[in-house]
Amino acid sequence: MPLRIDPEQNEVRALQRVTDWRRKRVLEIGCGDGRLTLRLARLGAVVQAIDPDAKLIRAARRNLPKRLTSRIRYRVGKAERLDHPDETFDLVVFAWVL
Amino acid sequence: MVHALNEAQRVLKPDGILVDLRPAAVHRCVGITRKSHYQQLATMREKLDDDRAASRAVTHVLREGLFKAEWRTQFDCARVMDTHDEFQAWIEEFVKLGGLSSHDWLVQRVERVLSSKRGKSKIVVRGPLVLRVLRKLNTTG
Repeated sequence: MPLRIDPEQNEVRALQRVTDWRRKRVLEIGCGDGRLTLRLARLGAVVQAIDPDAKLIRAARRNLPKRLTSRIRYRVGKAERLDHPDETFDLVVFAWVL
Repeated sequence: MVHALNEAQRVLKPDGILVDLRPAAVHRCVGITRKSHYQQLATMREKLDDDRAASRAVTHVLREGLFKAEWRTQFDCARVMDTHDEFQAWIEEFVKLGGLSSHDWLVQRVERVLSSKRGKSKIVVRGPLVLRVLRKLNTTG
């Protein structure tokens, strides 16, 4: 079994205290292979997730379960130059990026 | 980093929330667990310059009035690996990304301890994560 991050789910518990994520439009910056993206989508968020590494985005798309495909969009992109319009998202999540 | 925070502020709706989630600027502990007993082996010696620079960037946008700090929490985060090879690969990736000088001494120590143990052991790297919540402030008008 590969590396397991936060098996105790402390991260999810902390995220649940931030807001009610259901139907929130979320931009996740630095999604990597989508580990946190899946957690956000399972909390009910609709997530656009970006990472500058195309290889990681391909891995994230491979790891995406069918039942979450309507809630997650992965794209290659950089935090310093977002191509989204102004005032698009309810939340922006920097995932181990800053 | 400040550019990224400025961009985040731009794409956030009014009163939107920025979540900054990342490892705390402290060194992680490496240990072995077996039958729920944890034995700490060593503390890693990560370079923490990037973490400090990130904190400075957050401080900067707060001072600029782009966001207000709303909440902060810190919690434990474990990374669990089943084999020495996985641990070695994780360390090598960390070194490649520039966050760590060579940790061959640690890889060897873990290997030694694992080979001296009977039964199934796991390698656990523990270090806190920090979650900060910043609220977008209205900067127009």
